[in-house]
Amino acid sequence: MPAENSKKIREFAELQETLYSYRIDPGLQLYVLPKAGYENKYAAFSTNFGSIDNHFQVDGSGETVKLPEGVAHFLEHKLFEDERGNVFDRFAAYGASSNAFTTFTHTTYLFSTTDHFSECLELLLDFVQEPYFTDDSVSKEQGIIAQEIRMYEDNPGWRVFFDLLQSLYRNHPVREDIAGTVESISRITPDLLYRCYRRFYHPGNMALFVVGDLDPDEIWRQVEANLARRNYQESGEIIRLYPEEPEAVTRPRISREMVVSEPLFNLGFKDPAVTGFNGDALLRRESAAEILLDIIFGPSEPLFNELYEDALIDDRFDAGYTAELSYGYALIGGTTRDPERLYERIMSAVEGAKQNGLSSEAFERHRRDRLGRFMRRFNSLEFVAHNYLAYRFRGTDLFNYPAVLQQIGLAEIEALLEEILNPARHAVSIIHPAAQEE
Amino acid sequence: MAQQSTVTRLPNGIRLTFIPAVKFKTISIALFIHQELAAETAGLTALLPSVLERGSRRYPDNLTLQRELENLYGAAMSADVQKKGERHLISCSLEMMHGKYVGADEEMLRRGLAIVGGVIGDPLVVNGGFKEDYVEQEKEQLARIIKGLINNKSLYAVEKCVQSMCADERFGVFKYGRLEDLAGISPASLWRYYREILFGNPVELYIVGDLEAERVEQIAREMLHFSRGAQEKSLPETAVYVEPAETRFVQERMPLSQAKLVLGYRTNIAYDDPLYFALVLYSGILGGFPHSKLFLNVREKASLAYYAYSRLAKHKGIMIVAAGIDGADYEQAREIIERQVEEMARGRISDAELENSRVGLINQLRLQEDSPYQQINRHLDGEIGGRKYSPAEMIRALEETGRDEIVAAAEKIRLDTVYLLQNEEGVQPDAR
Repeated sequence: MPAENSKKIREFAELQETLYSYRIDPGLQLYVLPKAGYENKYAAFSTNFGSIDNHFQVDGSGETVKLPEGVAHFLEHKLFEDERGNVFDRFAAYGASSNAFTTFTHTTYLFSTTDHFSECLELLLDFVQEPYFTDDSVSKEQGIIAQEIRMYEDNPGWRVFFDLLQSLYRNHPVREDIAGTVESISRITPDLLYRCYRRFYHPGNMALFVVGDLDPDEIWRQVEANLARRNYQESGEIIRLYPEEPEAVTRPRISREMVVSEPLFNLGFKDPAVTGFNGDALLRRESAAEILLDIIFGPSEPLFNELYEDALIDDRFDAGYTAELSYGYALIGGTTRDPERLYERIMSAVEGAKQNGLSSEAFERHRRDRLGRFMRRFNSLEFVAHNYLAYRFRGTDLFNYPAVLQQIGLAEIEALLEEILNPARHAVSIIHPAAQEE
Repeated sequence: MAQQSTVTRLPNGIRLTFIPAVKFKTISIALFIHQELAAETAGLTALLPSVLERGSRRYPDNLTLQRELENLYGAAMSADVQKKGERHLISCSLEMMHGKYVGADEEMLRRGLAIVGGVIGDPLVVNGGFKEDYVEQEKEQLARIIKGLINNKSLYAVEKCVQSMCADERFGVFKYGRLEDLAGISPASLWRYYREILFGNPVELYIVGDLEAERVEQIAREMLHFSRGAQEKSLPETAVYVEPAETRFVQERMPLSQAKLVLGYRTNIAYDDPLYFALVLYSGILGGFPHSKLFLNVREKASLAYYAYSRLAKHKGIMIVAAGIDGADYEQAREIIERQVEEMARGRISDAELENSRVGLINQLRLQEDSPYQQINRHLDGEIGGRKYSPAEMIRALEETGRDEIVAAAEKIRLDTVYLLQNEEGVQPDAR
């Protein structure tokens, strides 16, 4: 039985923001954040379908489908075209700009405009819900995406990152490039795109975030009317299949040569325990892990400054933690003249932190820093929209972040130090400068 | 509607622009020291921001500074150099959460300005120079940045095209200078140079946020009270007008998956020219949007590229066209690009191309008001370009520009330099 359409209003005192949420038949989640005084009116329409969702069960039949790498991204490109041509042009007539992007876990379609908001919203809802794939259009897109893949092949930051993911993960699809390969996308057909579309672009697997100087209920009525005329059937639960992934890394080390001025270095720690978390608990683990990394690697801490003074890093040296439902890792990286020495120094700093413990002064300072940085990022409507949806698909709420931050304690962070920064589960990826004739 | 910005002079001659804005969650502060872009001083100018940030009397090392920023609720500070036309700018900016979220309105502004004032106006000076190890370490870091340009092939290709196109002009100077500039810089010479430009060159301070103008001015006076000269130096204007005798072709090879094609055009239209907005529309129609001629013809129709765009270096009157292609497609891609430029000159612009670009550009202008940084940048452009336009004036100018003016702008545009970066296997094109 379909759940009733509903509306919820929540006020977030620390943020001084009010968020409106609606459930719209047959299961679409709509979020509206009014922002007085902003010129920008921004909408992001996302499906919980990313590059890692490449193996799933077909409803009822027990049959499973395994996709070539790059289908989610390919589908994203192709939705921008229909019988009448290119969707960009229709947004352009309103002065709006439209775009889309695909991540490991989801695909987002968006527009930004200062005028004609409701016409643009209608366009967005229409083009995402009306697929049109032909042999011709698929084959033309193969040429364009091949150039996109080649562009990334020349991007050393991208290469060092995917080399690391392949070293951390033996089977999990996060090890594959989001766009796939020139070979894998050559296997994509209109029929395959339609099958994926029907599976993952049902409103029950999607969410829409709208932000700007707007009236929430008006948007609600518009979206409801748009969906009502499409006669959606209820859709069963999507069962995503992930291969068995060992706790151990694939290989401890990988390196390659490219045209770069100095080596690029990425160090990753695989976090297999992350798969046991979702919702607020996952957000909490992520927030706590970030503070942990700040305390050890942040620019206000001794390690960073010593490495900088020894010219082993530059000011872009960074450490971050990623927490998704099916994978998670800490990543530390930057450019360096001496990857081996940098590696030794980092590993011994991790060891040192375990022996000496973490200071509560540093913990409080970094917690305050994280809170302020989060508040600052609220200036960007794009930041709020994209992150709200990304956290929503992990079963949690971006706006809970300040509250979650307050719950974290030092003991919890010390436990994560042992658990996440575990030397038994790390890998290193390095890009060395290729020898070049002048 | 947005409130009016106010401009005042602090007692030491710094020009303060305050931009009131209620909607942001932040206070943004940006200070600029203006200098001319010149080969002899580029290395000195480029080295200064990082040396200043490394140590001031109040924050003698990076660790101390970073902790102050963290305690100030994760304030972000950055010091860097920018190139706008033939102007070289040292910038020091700080963004912080507004104090109203933690009940500390003025306190936050005061501490934020104290950091900027301390870094710029009260540096750490030892024996008549900056601290020696800081200078040496930052020289090494700057050398890494200069060499690191090659790590981003698209940026590298555009920079190389501009450098060869403007080899005999000040604009051809890289904003981070040259490696060979660094050896001759000593802690004392750098300090002398800094004192000279801080004393005599134009210095501007911008503050954006939900604040009161009088209080902002008063706190800025207190926190930026270092002494400067009574007379501000006037800096030379950017040279814009060039008629290339012929089109140059420059090629470089290195192991790459994708070739980069960059075409550099002289527009002969300055920022304060009556045809400036016609030029903005011209570039929009040619390659500013996904509906533009370049995207449509190079990418969507010929399937040759993932990206193909045109962009203005507005203070220099240069237009850059760039595409990432397969090296084997060079001739075809260049031919398609040049054909679009010819179509523009013949006025073959559809109503949809013109109107969509017009509303698209107006949309972009309005969006600038949602970013404190872009608001500051708009004021700075007016200051450097010698012509200040309010957003309303710019929108009106775009609304009133017609096809004839776009064609008049097109007639002034000349292809100067074609640059191709590709791998060893790529074709050997006929140099044209």
